[in-house]
Amino acid sequence: MQRYIIQRVLQGVLVLLLVATIVFFLGRLTGNPADLMLPEDATPEDRQALIATLGLDRPYYEQLYIFLLNAVQGDLGVSIRYRQPAAALFFDRLPNTLQLVPATLALAVGVALPLGMLAAVYRGSMIDKLAGAAAVCGIATPSFWLGIVLIYVFSVQLGWLPSARMGGMEHYVLPSITLGLFLVAGLMRLVRSSMLEVLDTEFVKLARLKGLRELVIVLKHCLRNALIPVITLFGVLLAQLVTGAIVTETVFAWPGIGRLTFEAVLFRDYPLLQAVVVLDAILVLGITLMVDILYAYIDPRIRYS
Amino acid sequence: MLSRLLSLCFGCLVLAWTAAIAAQDQKGTLIIALDTLGAQTMDPILEARAPHTHYQAPVFDSIVGFNYEKGGIGPGVAERWEMAPDGSHWTFYVRPGQKWHNGDPVTAEDVKFSLERTMSPESVSSSAAALRRNIQRIEVVNNQTVRVYTNGILPYFPESLSRAVFQEGQLMPKKYLETAGPEVFRKKPIGSGPWKFVRSVPGDRVEYEAVDYPHWRGTPHFKKMVIVLVPEESTRVAMVRTGEAHIASISPESIREVEKANMRVVSVPGTMQALFQFYGLYTPEFQQSPLTDVRVREAMSLAINRQQLIDHVMYGKATLPLPLSIFRYSVDIDIKRWETWSREALRYDPERAKQLLTDAGHPNGFAMTFVNTALPGTPFMTQIGEAVADFWSKIGIQVTIKNIEWGSYQPMMRGEQKGLAGTVSMFRAAGRPVAESRYHSGLAGKSEGHLFGEERHCATTCQEFERLHHAVITERDEAKRIEHTNRMIDFVAQTWIVVPILEGMGYWAINPKHVGAFRPLPGRHELGDVFERIPRSEQKSWQ
Repeated sequence: MQRYIIQRVLQGVLVLLLVATIVFFLGRLTGNPADLMLPEDATPEDRQALIATLGLDRPYYEQLYIFLLNAVQGDLGVSIRYRQPAAALFFDRLPNTLQLVPATLALAVGVALPLGMLAAVYRGSMIDKLAGAAAVCGIATPSFWLGIVLIYVFSVQLGWLPSARMGGMEHYVLPSITLGLFLVAGLMRLVRSSMLEVLDTEFVKLARLKGLRELVIVLKHCLRNALIPVITLFGVLLAQLVTGAIVTETVFAWPGIGRLTFEAVLFRDYPLLQAVVVLDAILVLGITLMVDILYAYIDPRIRYS
Repeated sequence: MLSRLLSLCFGCLVLAWTAAIAAQDQKGTLIIALDTLGAQTMDPILEARAPHTHYQAPVFDSIVGFNYEKGGIGPGVAERWEMAPDGSHWTFYVRPGQKWHNGDPVTAEDVKFSLERTMSPESVSSSAAALRRNIQRIEVVNNQTVRVYTNGILPYFPESLSRAVFQEGQLMPKKYLETAGPEVFRKKPIGSGPWKFVRSVPGDRVEYEAVDYPHWRGTPHFKKMVIVLVPEESTRVAMVRTGEAHIASISPESIREVEKANMRVVSVPGTMQALFQFYGLYTPEFQQSPLTDVRVREAMSLAINRQQLIDHVMYGKATLPLPLSIFRYSVDIDIKRWETWSREALRYDPERAKQLLTDAGHPNGFAMTFVNTALPGTPFMTQIGEAVADFWSKIGIQVTIKNIEWGSYQPMMRGEQKGLAGTVSMFRAAGRPVAESRYHSGLAGKSEGHLFGEERHCATTCQEFERLHHAVITERDEAKRIEHTNRMIDFVAQTWIVVPILEGMGYWAINPKHVGAFRPLPGRHELGDVFERIPRSEQKSWQ
């Protein structure tokens, strides 16, 4: 197991290096941030002076070398726009994003698990069809549209919930639903197909022959086995939730890392974009590694292979 | 002696009483939802773009202020200024009785320090380079007087120290900054403005508290103010409707929705001019292009029904423009003359347009490329561009539209302007009181736009323009400068190389249950210099 973890960590370092290099060049493909910082009647001299002040007048290879050299020492540079260390900006905003995760996950698991189970147990029934239709809707609904509709109904028309921004418990409801609906759909479909697979296995048939109650068979024997692929997806979704809430955070004016990423792209803040992507990649790699380890503990076949 | 002492005591009492009354009248919290907070830094030298006029302006005064009635510049920290007879320097006279939020007096030393700090190497201020070029040295004459020696005659130097143009004139506290250091200043800034800084939460909001003494810019009616960052427009509108925000920036598309919901729309006149311009027509490569014929370019202007654009694309919240970069608050301009010109020259006359095309040898039109883009802050430019292209096709021009995002467009403007040369393109002129800088940056050979020619290929038109422009910027006599300016505008207008389409506005959704009527500053979309004058709903309107 130790060897496996070390191997994965080393792979992770290589991936990080690759990600850092790709994001370095991709960011620069979009143009120079000085163009967005200067007014339209700025002179070429103003532009040159600003580029020099921002340290962007050096050749690309030199900038990349400096970035990678500093990055391995934990220095991810200073944001062009905010003039603050980029990593500090990321960690300032990370808790805001993390605060959305428990409510969203609770919603996703609380709805997807029972619905997926019911759809599998009553395969082909009305429940199954309705759950399937709901899943398609959930996956197909763009989150920015859903967010705006929720705001219009629950804030503007009914006046039950706040429209946006961080605050008390009531501020979490609409962003969590917007963020969670997509997860519900995906998770529900996976639980259903995984449950169907397990329900069809020999040991379940044996349990039924032995006269065990259906509820016990489903909850104790089927669900535990059906959850193995779900946990893998859960890890991916969790990583997605932490790093990819750009739309939800923008619609609900939530100052998390999704919005920070959006701003970094919008303003061509290379150091910030590089830092956010690298730190996001570390998060994703960490979560994936944890899921893999968990997976190995849950499924003995993997542990012993 | 005794009478002087008594008068002093009486004066102090009156001041204390006025301050007490002012403080008593301040109630509630004003909440403003904005689409951007820029760099969200409270250090003026670290912000490069316009959002500072939203969130820094409440705390920091500017050396030159605004004319609150007409727009353009007016008294600020300096109550008056004058150019030396030989044009070698400008003298600024600091308004007496101003103080920093920690109680220290505002002096001429602060003015000198602020300008020098803005020009320092660590400054990313957008016109830091221009100030470095223009300022030779700064001399403090006495506590209330400062003299700025310029490199050459600069008749428009005071305008460049006003937020009516940009942030270069923001005043920073010398003593506090030198004692506490820049890091402390950035965390706990003090200014001399009507609002004191309370807190800044990155990516979320900036909080302020009103000063409790009368301020020359106006004593705030609200006790507190919060500027919140809400990037999504529909969310901002929803927040104004629910009362979570009282004022929000909006685009023309939201005007109908806001009005339907019984909210008020405040439009700021003269914030920009949408225009189209012709790139690289002076190069030998494009000498055969129909666009080189001035009649064709004039025809393209006459083909546009500007009133229809104003009514349908801008929902009635825009106006017929004056010539390039001229607004009703512009300095050194004969506005009446140009209003008459605008009504006649920028009219809708498709018949005349077709006649001009026929005269130019294109009775059946011709094919051309139109590059459509929108500059930051004015996304509606692309819709204007699409409608304009439609008008052109009605007089027989076959238009191929290329939509290019501003980030990709701007690098294309530089150097040989590959991809833009020989085309017609959407562009914008920002609302500024001084026209000459916009003329220079768009048309001169050395400029980024260089629509008349390059530095190496500056032919007759280009040379004539540069001569006229030079006459404007070196003229010390105001009357003569107005004459030169009008001549330059006339010259450019006759070439139809850059053609105004409409004069746009900035738009705000207002919740009337919380905010009384107020008037924004013409030309300045941002409300940072107006917040203190905004009344509460139950107070008398500021109209």
